[in-house]
Amino acid sequence: MIKIAHLAKRFAVENPKKLSEQEKKDPRLKGRYFHSVKDVSFSCNQGQVLGLLGPNGAGKTTTLRMLSTALKPDHGEIAIQGVNVVEKPLVARQKIGFLSGSTGLYGRLTGRENITYFGQLHGMQADAIEQRIAYLADLLELHSFLDRRCESFSTGMKQRTAIARAVVHSPEVVILDEPTTGLDIMAAQTVHTFIRQLKEQGTPVIFSTHHLDEVSELCDQVTVIDAGVTRFNNSLSAFKALSPGSMHQAFLNTLQQGA
Amino acid sequence: MWLVFRKELKELLRDRKTLFFMIALPILVFPLIFGVVAYFSGKAIEEAQNKVLRYSIIGQQHAPELAQRLSESGEFEWVEMASDTEPAQWVRQEKVDFVLVIPPNYSNDVLTAGQITLSVHLNDSSLNMVEKRLNEITTKIAERNQQDAFVRLGLDASQSKAMLKPIVVEKIDVADQRENWGEKIGGLVPYLVFILCLQGAMIPATDLGAGEKERGTLETLLISPIERYKLVLGKFITIAFAGVTSAMITVSSMAIWGIVLSQGMAIELVAKFMSAISAVDFILMFLMLIPVVAIFASVLLSLSIYARSFKEAQGYMTPLVLVVVVPVILAMLPGMELKGGWAWVPLTNVALAIKELIKGTMDYVQLLAIFSSTVMIAGLFLGFCLYWFNREKVLFR
Repeated sequence: MIKIAHLAKRFAVENPKKLSEQEKKDPRLKGRYFHSVKDVSFSCNQGQVLGLLGPNGAGKTTTLRMLSTALKPDHGEIAIQGVNVVEKPLVARQKIGFLSGSTGLYGRLTGRENITYFGQLHGMQADAIEQRIAYLADLLELHSFLDRRCESFSTGMKQRTAIARAVVHSPEVVILDEPTTGLDIMAAQTVHTFIRQLKEQGTPVIFSTHHLDEVSELCDQVTVIDAGVTRFNNSLSAFKALSPGSMHQAFLNTLQQGA
Repeated sequence: MWLVFRKELKELLRDRKTLFFMIALPILVFPLIFGVVAYFSGKAIEEAQNKVLRYSIIGQQHAPELAQRLSESGEFEWVEMASDTEPAQWVRQEKVDFVLVIPPNYSNDVLTAGQITLSVHLNDSSLNMVEKRLNEITTKIAERNQQDAFVRLGLDASQSKAMLKPIVVEKIDVADQRENWGEKIGGLVPYLVFILCLQGAMIPATDLGAGEKERGTLETLLISPIERYKLVLGKFITIAFAGVTSAMITVSSMAIWGIVLSQGMAIELVAKFMSAISAVDFILMFLMLIPVVAIFASVLLSLSIYARSFKEAQGYMTPLVLVVVVPVILAMLPGMELKGGWAWVPLTNVALAIKELIKGTMDYVQLLAIFSSTVMIAGLFLGFCLYWFNREKVLFR
């Protein structure tokens, strides 16, 4: 169970003159600070998949980075399985598996070494890592390239290896930031299959995306963020009910509600 | 921490480009440069030595003995000079290597003729043996004439000697061989080592900071449950290790090839010089180097993690070389000593201390002060690096 309440994060603007016209018009810019996330709340239960939607620059990545402890929120609370993420980031990190579309691998290490390194960083024993890699290699079909250097991998191979690396420590929550952006159909399919497998195991998944078909295919919960504020937070069926027949219209409706 | 270090090192060792710059370049390029320079300078000297010099004489009739000796020596070849040309022009037209002008007052009788001036027209801008060979011949004649004059004046041997040089200043050097050489090359050693350490650390530093950002591996690393300081220290040690290793490889490569190429007399000198420096001094030099490398590594890592990309990181690091070169060059200047204010200038004081250690004139108490002050500076920079790694503004730019 993941619970996020009234999350807020602002960034200092170094040189206000350098901002573009559009950025200057953004109501989130106040003085020398840009309030990227102002008030975001949502929750995700065991075995649920939550889709995080919103236009570019809405604050999705910032929210997920706060959730994954990379950034520290200014206000609000995050609890993962009852652990306060803001107060105990090191404990929370043990429970989180994080992956983004731009996540890379260490090119000069083999796939196995990449995964092992993160297993070691999570404090896992050597034999536990070996077993886990064997299991994940079966699941994600990594065997054919696991011992080759990552720099020669195709995008799909890289993504599958990155997934294995993100879940090597058997996290209790998986957070994915636009995991399918920039991937071809086959590689995206790998990610979809992986999300379904996590769901079957009862691991909650939170992912942000721009593809509404992914949402309707995979999600139980939908959260829409715009301009740093939660505009919609309910089940998939409630989201679809906003505009029967067109998910796109439903999405636009949630944005207009807030405006 | 060691986990991070081991992984970074493994990755570094697999990078052919880095390895090439760190190991292959110093091992192969230095001997190559040495070799090429030695070969060509040797060849130029040999050519000049073996060359037969062509010459013309004006006023030959005044000094038939000199003219005869010139033509008999075998090192010269006489060329008839066109009567209407100037000597300078004759040389410029490359008809001859030099034109010797003998004045009409030339005489073997020193007492009546006085001092005689022979003029030589030549192109002295390139390597040549004209003066050396001419002097060989003229000195013989001059000395003989001198002796003649002394005999005619009725001077004995000791009087003639005193006449030639009434007062002699004798130099008795209290500096031993080591101090002498240490002053000459002692400044060069820290300069080379510092720059090499910095260069050797630069490529891995770029890779470990900006490289992680550019490849998108940094975020994952930051949210893994490892304390931030362990992460920084792991990276820091890798960079420092790479810097020291590459410097050591280069220095030993230069030493080995230098010895190999300068066999014979020079090797004795080098060996004697090296053996004069005790093992303790070598260890002390190495110890002094550690905080310096620590300063380099923490500064490089801070710059690298701030940069968004490889390119940006390289842009930040290039001026750093200049910042390091200036204080070290100060230490190379002759007459610079570890005294007064200079003992407090970072980098310069370490460079001066290494120079003193090589010379064998080190005040060991001062060494402690320099060492601890450099350690303190290194600690400050490392502290800043740790603080820097906790700034969201730096990590997510």
